[in-house]
Amino acid sequence: MRIAIILGIATLLGAADLSSVIESPDATAILKKDALPAPKVFAMPQGCISEDPAVIARGKYIFHNLNGKDAKDPAPQGLVKILPDGKEKQFGNCVACHNIEGAKGYGNIGPDLTNYKGLFMESGARKHEFVYQKIADARVDNPTTHMTINLTNDLMNEREICDLASYIVLKK
Amino acid sequence: MRKLSVSATLIALALLSTANAEEKMSMSDADKAMYAEMLENNPAAMDVAEGEEMFERLIGNEAYAKMLGVKEKDLPKYLSGFPRVVKSAGKVVTIAQTLQMAMADRGQSVPKLESNEIIKMSAYVKSLANGLKTSIDVKSDKQMKEMMALGQEVFEQRRGGRGLSCNSCHSADIIGQRLRMQPLPDLGVNKAAGTWPAYRMTQSQMVTLDKRFQQCMENALLAKIPLGSREMVGLEVYVTNKTKGNEIQIPGLKR
Ligand code: HEC
Ligand code: HEC
Repeated sequence: MRIAIILGIATLLGAADLSSVIESPDATAILKKDALPAPKVFAMPQGCISEDPAVIARGKYIFHNLNGKDAKDPAPQGLVKILPDGKEKQFGNCVACHNIEGAKGYGNIGPDLTNYKGLFMESGARKHEFVYQKIADARVDNPTTHMTINLTNDLMNEREICDLASYIVLKK
Repeated sequence: MRKLSVSATLIALALLSTANAEEKMSMSDADKAMYAEMLENNPAAMDVAEGEEMFERLIGNEAYAKMLGVKEKDLPKYLSGFPRVVKSAGKVVTIAQTLQMAMADRGQSVPKLESNEIIKMSAYVKSLANGLKTSIDVKSDKQMKEMMALGQEVFEQRRGGRGLSCNSCHSADIIGQRLRMQPLPDLGVNKAAGTWPAYRMTQSQMVTLDKRFQQCMENALLAKIPLGSREMVGLEVYVTNKTKGNEIQIPGLKR
């Protein structure tokens, strides 16, 4: 009743408060839920780096594909395109930012990873642990990195980080 | 429409082709012809014309200017400064939100920000400022300062499935580099604020600036924040200010 009167007066004065009709949903909860956990240091699991062709095939597949819907080739053993809940599996899409042997349509936001073994591993510049941590959570060694975060936020699991690291450090 | 910025044109030209990696950076003759045709004849001009028809029928310049508290002849200049604080709203609003206010003010039912009415009318209303420069003033008062700060925060917040922020792809240090085959646009040089709503050729439809933000969120696995939310308006303030002083040319034409 009182509200109706106030509204009536406001309209009469020609200065209606129009704020209530503006669509202005609350987004704070969405952003909070979507937030990235703090940077995390990970220990590389035992036997992580491998030359097993099955491991390399997975690493390569994750590196070059965006997600299960986008990927053209069938998924290698141990990976699926569609998850049990019906959503597509997200892969690394590393090629969006990195060149590497055989990359098609690669980006250049990140360093070129071609001949990584020769240039970075054999020279002693990089260790397996560094590569593992970089893919798991790149913020640990570069707080302002533009690189994606893959393990801290559960985009991938430990094994998939190992698959990727094994593929990158393999002589190709 | 015809005065699309050279850089935007070049980027769009470079991206049109869908052939293999190397070819993708250049353009086939057929693509060039299509782009030239669209520059002459932007398909979104139809949407703007429909927006004009709806706006004239439902609201009209006179009532709109009165609701905003400005003289009719000052409308274009005033519109070039959005998002801004509007008295009858009591806060920072976008042009689309002022159209919701104007509909209510005219006793009409209020369409959603997602609706065709609001999208087309907002494109038309913004086109009234065509030829002027975007003149947002993020220091005009406390509320604008707050929204600017909020916008920057949202722009820089790393989140979502891949832990990316808008800044991961649009910070000054990586502009011009490539994400896959797409050169990362300089939001400033691309006149982002002055050229949306724009016709997106990859989507065959007119898209508003806030919807464009949502498309980047979706591509990069960031949760979509809803149209009209403080955070979304803040992003519009922040991005518009990045590109302040660019000429307004509605509708734009984008890849
Ligand atoms: C959005 C861009 C982007 C994506 C996507 C991306 N990276 Fe990176 N990456 C970078 C940047 C930038 C750097 C260099 C800065 C740094 O080290 O943080 C980097 C660095 C690296 C390095 C360290 C190279 C060295 O020895 O210094 C490795 C290894 C790497 N990325 C692997 C990957 C893998 C594997 C993926 C996919 C899961 C991936 N990147 C996805 C941008 C990206
Ligand atoms: C993973 C990379 C990435 C992220 C993250 C990203 N963008 Fe983009 N953005 C792009 C690319 C690439 C384009 C150009 C696409 C094209 O040409 O079709 C673009 C285009 C745009 C444009 C249009 C520019 C023009 O031509 O007028 C706007 C505006 C924009 N982004 C805003 C945002 C905002 C706001 C966010 C965060 C919510 C964001 N972007 C996050 C990659 C990204």
